[in-house]
Amino acid sequence: MVKKIMNDPKDIVDEMLEGFVFAHKELQWFKEYRTVAVKERKEKVGLVALGGSGHEPAHAGYIGEGMLDAVAVGNLFASPSPDQILKAIEAANRGKGVLVILKNYSGDLMNFSIAKELAEEENIRVESVVVKDDVAVQDSTYSTGRRGIAGTVFVHKIAGARAAEGAELEEVKVTAQKAIDHIRSIGISLGTCILPGLKKPGFYIGENEIELGMGIHGEPGIRKMELKSANELAETMVDRILEDLDYRKQEVAVLINGLGGTPQMELYVLTASLKKVFAREEIAAYRVMVGNYMTSLEMAGCSVSLMELDEEFKRLLDKPCMTPALRIQ
Amino acid sequence: MFELRKEDYMKYLYEVAVRIHEKEEYITELDAETGDGDHWLNLDTGFQKLTEKLEEWTACSYAEFYRNIGMTMMSAMGGSSGVLYGSAYLKTSKLLEGKDVITPELLGDILEGWASAIAHRGNTKPGFKTMLDAIYPASKRYGQAIEAGKDCKTCLGELKRGAQEGAENTKNMEAVRGRASYREDKSVGHLDPGAVTMAIQLECLAEFIIENCCK
Repeated sequence: MVKKIMNDPKDIVDEMLEGFVFAHKELQWFKEYRTVAVKERKEKVGLVALGGSGHEPAHAGYIGEGMLDAVAVGNLFASPSPDQILKAIEAANRGKGVLVILKNYSGDLMNFSIAKELAEEENIRVESVVVKDDVAVQDSTYSTGRRGIAGTVFVHKIAGARAAEGAELEEVKVTAQKAIDHIRSIGISLGTCILPGLKKPGFYIGENEIELGMGIHGEPGIRKMELKSANELAETMVDRILEDLDYRKQEVAVLINGLGGTPQMELYVLTASLKKVFAREEIAAYRVMVGNYMTSLEMAGCSVSLMELDEEFKRLLDKPCMTPALRIQ
Repeated sequence: MFELRKEDYMKYLYEVAVRIHEKEEYITELDAETGDGDHWLNLDTGFQKLTEKLEEWTACSYAEFYRNIGMTMMSAMGGSSGVLYGSAYLKTSKLLEGKDVITPELLGDILEGWASAIAHRGNTKPGFKTMLDAIYPASKRYGQAIEAGKDCKTCLGELKRGAQEGAENTKNMEAVRGRASYREDKSVGHLDPGAVTMAIQLECLAEFIIENCCK
């Protein structure tokens, strides 16, 4: 049995949120809906995200000035339900409509589709964008297609800054979609994670093995491979991204994201390795963010996300934001 | 042939909750192979919540009861399972308006309603390696047996076997929806956990009716 700091595993999500809003007094909590929102209401387009638990600080950590307005929090690794999402939409709505930033998972999309119908019955304008940045999965219009992973944080930032400028719903949506089109990510996993309440991990990784392209829920990736040096990992990851979208000779924002069980030291080592690959590929890093932005419980590993920047994105990225998990001043 | 009353349906739900609860290792193991390992946990959470609430629903109508089941599954389970089971119960609650028993024919309509609600909400078809691949053949074979005028046990046996064989057949399918579709091999060679847990429920329902309601 894995050691975890918890009480009854079935209370873990509620207790986490209780702690979260105690620590972040600028946020409020609709307890029975497991929905967190800003307290202060400004007249602007509302921004909502949703997702399962176990990815902290995503997504409630991105609520606040310049980013999201409300987040619906699901069970472990599972989408929140329509009534929760509706509550988040209501909490974010100030009459200028709400943009919901989704990640491409069947459960998230299905639950959202019901919530959207319910919100529209209340005359709330709801638009959505779907993040699908993970190059490990082939995109497809036939199957579920590409997953949304840590590149989503860029979308929260860009859309949040655009909404804070006073843009209209349609404009915020266009900018968010443009960001999505310019973001690609790839992850590697070094170890597994165990859902609180379960006796065994939901997936396995061998002793000297890593998995390239594993998802943020431990979904299998592209292939298992032998653990290599940070330099080699950085090359493999960037190569895989460049095969999908050519960032060479471009200015980019970089997100080096820890999955929960990897020390910052290793993330910064990888960052140094990425610096070399970027120099070789003539990729100019305009902003580099390193830390645990979207995790998978205690999984060891990381993901790298790149976003190609133009003047608009640079301006929006540099705008201040003040949230529990991301502060830019 | 049989009458499935609301009190019976409650007993069935208690029983199926136990069966799901007992399958932690098997289901989580299956899910670990192709998904993210949370399917059992969320399904179990939903069924435990459901059994806690059942006593509050003794006085309501059958249709209201079905609506309550749907709403509870949707909110307590969450994820894909919650919304799909929730949609199935909510949609078929309409078939129960003004009824206080489920007859063999009505059960056929309910099963068909479940399959179509799941296909619609999940934007899925038979053969996509999902829970639909258990409910769809089960509903079809049960319907054919009823139409052919077979006896109670035969019809329910068809329901059970349709579900079991349907779940078994997902092994050879390529996943089109859900997390199993992310694998490059599309999870061929692995059972779909969602189809397996759907089959467990349908099996349990068939066995419960045979044991308690068949005349």
